[in-house]
Order: sequence, then structure tokens, then C-alpha cells
Amino acid sequence: MSVLAHGVGSRTDLPLPLGLALYGAGAAILVSFAVLLLLWRRPRLGGAHSGHPLPPRVQRAAASAPLRRGLQALALAVAVVVLLVALAGPAETDRNLAPWALYVTAWVGLVPASLLLGPVWRVLNPLRLLSRALRPLTGPPRGAARLPALGLWPAAVSLLVFVWLELVFPGRAEPVTVGVFLLAYAVVHLAAAAWFGEDWFARGDGFEAWSTLLARLSVVARRDDGVVVARSPLSNAMATPDERGLAAVVVVLLGSTGFDGLSRTVWWQTGAGAAGDTLSGTLGLAACTAVVAVLYLLGTRLSGRLGRLPLGPQPRLYAASVVPIAVGYTVAHYCSLLLLDGQTTWILASDPFGTGADLFGTAANVVDLRAVGPDLIAWVQVGAVVLGHVVGVVLAHEKALRVAPRAPASDQLPLVLVMVAFTLAGLGLLFGF
Amino acid sequence: MRRALPLAGAVLALVLSGCAGTAPAEAGTPSSAPSTSSSAPSSGSSSAAPSSPAVRAVAVEVAGGRVTGDTGRMVVAAGERVALTVTSDVADELHLHGYDLTADLAPGTPATVEFTADLPGVFEAELHGSGTVLLSLQVG
Repeated sequence: MSVLAHGVGSRTDLPLPLGLALYGAGAAILVSFAVLLLLWRRPRLGGAHSGHPLPPRVQRAAASAPLRRGLQALALAVAVVVLLVALAGPAETDRNLAPWALYVTAWVGLVPASLLLGPVWRVLNPLRLLSRALRPLTGPPRGAARLPALGLWPAAVSLLVFVWLELVFPGRAEPVTVGVFLLAYAVVHLAAAAWFGEDWFARGDGFEAWSTLLARLSVVARRDDGVVVARSPLSNAMATPDERGLAAVVVVLLGSTGFDGLSRTVWWQTGAGAAGDTLSGTLGLAACTAVVAVLYLLGTRLSGRLGRLPLGPQPRLYAASVVPIAVGYTVAHYCSLLLLDGQTTWILASDPFGTGADLFGTAANVVDLRAVGPDLIAWVQVGAVVLGHVVGVVLAHEKALRVAPRAPASDQLPLVLVMVAFTLAGLGLLFGF
Repeated sequence: MRRALPLAGAVLALVLSGCAGTAPAEAGTPSSAPSTSSSAPSSGSSSAAPSSPAVRAVAVEVAGGRVTGDTGRMVVAAGERVALTVTSDVADELHLHGYDLTADLAPGTPATVEFTADLPGVFEAELHGSGTVLLSLQVG
């Protein structure tokens, strides 16, 4: 068992070079104020009705129930294999693909897949297929009417449970842990879906909610009339419904990635987190999430107060504009994990049960930790954080113009300062202590 | 043939830099380990010939579950030779992640793995049996 951050992994990234961190921070601050002072003064991005329809063949594929069920059946088969390997495969993490498949390939891989292709987990979610198959047994969903009132809060809780398992639970890398988690996750969400209906997965399944949120930064979208369209990621993000609990989802993701970064620093490893136990990890994760939540609430509410706007909905209105910042962090923290340690899943898949099989001829391969150089990783990290920040600030600016068209740009200052703080903290964590 | 020259250069550099040459003796003074050892690579790589990197000695002891010596984060330059010596009071197995080096530890007997630190990144060295993390090696 290892205390390495993010569930599994054999290496972590080098601290960011000071110069690169400073350039990134400077660029983030400069862009923020340029957006506030120089950019557009009236809304310019498209809304839920914008976008260019994709060819009819794509429309048919997107609407095809058999295709969707087939993809879900395929995902279910893969999930069952991973579950069996987790419970009956080799006992050592190094030789069992299940922890690598869950923490690296699925969880981290979900980010590029959703950013490039759209809401992939909604299409692939095997629990949707199971829920549909179980419907005759479970009867009509009696709680369906109450589901909209919950908003995305169930997804925020679901994600918090997962990131706790991934970043804190001492036995997180054990294959058995992964197997038990997968089973428990399926049982809990199938039970909830039996009560609330299949829409539960969009609001309660953390993986699907995260994938759908990420897909808002892709070029693929469904227009408000149901047509599948291509549109600018900025317009796509702007069309994110302002649901209850959206801010909570974003805060959990930002806070947990922040904690993952913090737990890699020497400062944490030799200080507060030296014990490396459940208590210090839980407190650290809770503290990071709480700091992000307080800063975010403060920024959005202060901005609302300056503009004399109703304070209640403020956090939810701007949550979609913090998503790019969370994505920038995530890419910065996990790209090397996916590219380097992610190779492990494919190597181990060749001999899943440790029987000496070599299904794909890759069993003898070793992870090539030189596949991506440290300079490239550092540039990707700074680039992702700064780009995420720029997109976030632009989206927040556009949103503010829609909420209060005549308000002076200075009303946006508190929120922009909080965004700058998030970005500087992110760069600081990558720079290390 | 090719190993002999760098080794001779390494010994020379160790003697010149003075602080890392007596690894077993200095292992008893854990508190100042990071500051003294951080001066070793700079003198080794700048003054010596480019083909003769110094061997960087990193030593930890484990007794009663507690780790002393070069714990925490040890920074070494990319391409540097590193000799990681572990002395444990119980039998266990040393594992250096990423480089995937292992060594069996017999109680009270120092075990050393020597390697060229040519993979950039931060890697943990841990005891496989107890799960104790000894140090993290920062290469680059």
C-alpha cells in the first residue's frame, strides 16, 4: 500500500519551475482585468438556442435507442470484468488492473473524453441500462416528482464520497476496496433510481454529472429544441442550466483537486498530514473544500451585493464559470498520471487474472515513464491553469452582463478576485512548498 | 571498462566534497542531513569532468516503525548516480516506485540499491511489508 496521492500512481510531477509559475500568475491577473475593462460591454455569446445542426446521420445516431443500449451493454460488460478482477484477480495493486482502471482510466480519462466528445458517461452509463431492466420489478418511480427540488446536490454528495475514497481512505489502492466500492455504488444508485426514476443518474450519479458538466466545455451540445448541434464551448458553457447544487458540485471538485495538490507538497507531508491517516486526510479534504466554498460564496455574494441583486441565486448563477478553472486544475494535476501511469491499465488488461495469459500481447510491456518529458508536463500544467482561468473570467463577465446589463464592471471585482485567488493557489500548489 | 572511469571519478568527487564519503558514520546525525547533502551535487557536477558524476549516498534507518536519516524529500539532479541504503530492525522489502527497484532487508543489515536517477519526477521509497514511507526522491 502506498500513500501516494490520487489513489494509485508510481510517480508525481516535479514542482513547477518558479519562472513558469510567475509567468502564469502574471498572465492570469493581467487577463482578468483586461476582460473586465476592455472586453465587450453587452452579452455576445450564444444561448441555449444557438449552434449549427450536425448532419442527419449524427442526429439519427444520437436518437437511436438500440445504439445507446448497445453502448451501455458494452460498458456494463467492461465494468463487470473490472469488478471480477477487483474481487478475484491478483491481490497486489501493482498487478491488478481494477484500481488503475477506476482511478486513472475512468476517473481521469472521463475529463478528455467529455471535453472532446460531449456527455459520454450519460450515453455509456451501464447503471441506466440496469435500472431500465429492473423497472418491471421495482414498479413506477414514486419519488420522481421530488427529484427536481434536489437539483444537483445528490451528485455533489456522490462526488464527495468518491474523492474521499480516492484521496483519503488508507486502503484506497487495494483491489478489494475498488470492488466493494463499485458494487456499493451500483446498489445505492440503482436503489435511488428505482425510487426517483432514471433522471436520478443526471442529478445523483457523480460521474455522470461531472461528465455532463465537462461536456459543457465541448463543442457538442443539444439545442433547446432537441437538435444535436456544434457550437462554441463558451456558448455551450453559458447555456448550462443554473440548477440548485451546481455550485456544490464545482466546489467539491475544486476543493478535492486542491487537496490532492496540497497532499503532494513537502509542507503537508511533513506537517499537518505527516501521520498520513484517515483523520488528517479527512480534515485536510474538508478544510480545502470549505475554504473553496467560503471564498466562492463570498465572491459571488459580494458581487451581488454591489449590484443590489438577490443574493440567494448568485452562487448558482456563476457556478458554470468556475467549471473551466476546475477543469484547468484537473488537467494540470492529472495529465501526467493519465499519460504515464494510465499505461498500466492496458498492460494489466492483457493478463487480468494473473494466470499468465497474454490476451493483447502487451503483458510483458513496462510503463514508459519517459513518454512525456518534465518540460512538456510543466508547460501543459501552466497552460491548462491559465486557459481555464481565462475562460472562467470571460464566462463570469458574460454572465454578469446578462444578469445586470447596466451594472458597472466594478461590481464583478469580488468574484474576479476570488477567481484570481483560486488560480494563484493552484499555481502555488503546483510550484510546491 | 566503461564503469571503471566514472566510479573512479565518483570516489574522487566524494573525497573532494568531503561530506558524503562516509555514509555509515554520518548516518547517526539525521538532523542536518538535507542541508549538507544538497551541496554535494553542485560541487560534483560543476567541478568534476562531465563523464564522472558523483554517487549520491542516501541513507535511512528504520527502528521500531520510526524512520530516521535522509527522510522527507531528497532532491537529486537528473542523471546522477544514487546509492540508497536502508537499515531496518525487522525483515522487510524496500521498494522504490517508478524505478521499480526492490531489495530484501534482513534485520540490522544495511541493504543498498544503486541506480542512475534518469527518470524525472518525484518517487516514493517505501517498505512493502509495513507500508512505511521512507522518503520521496525528487529527480530533476
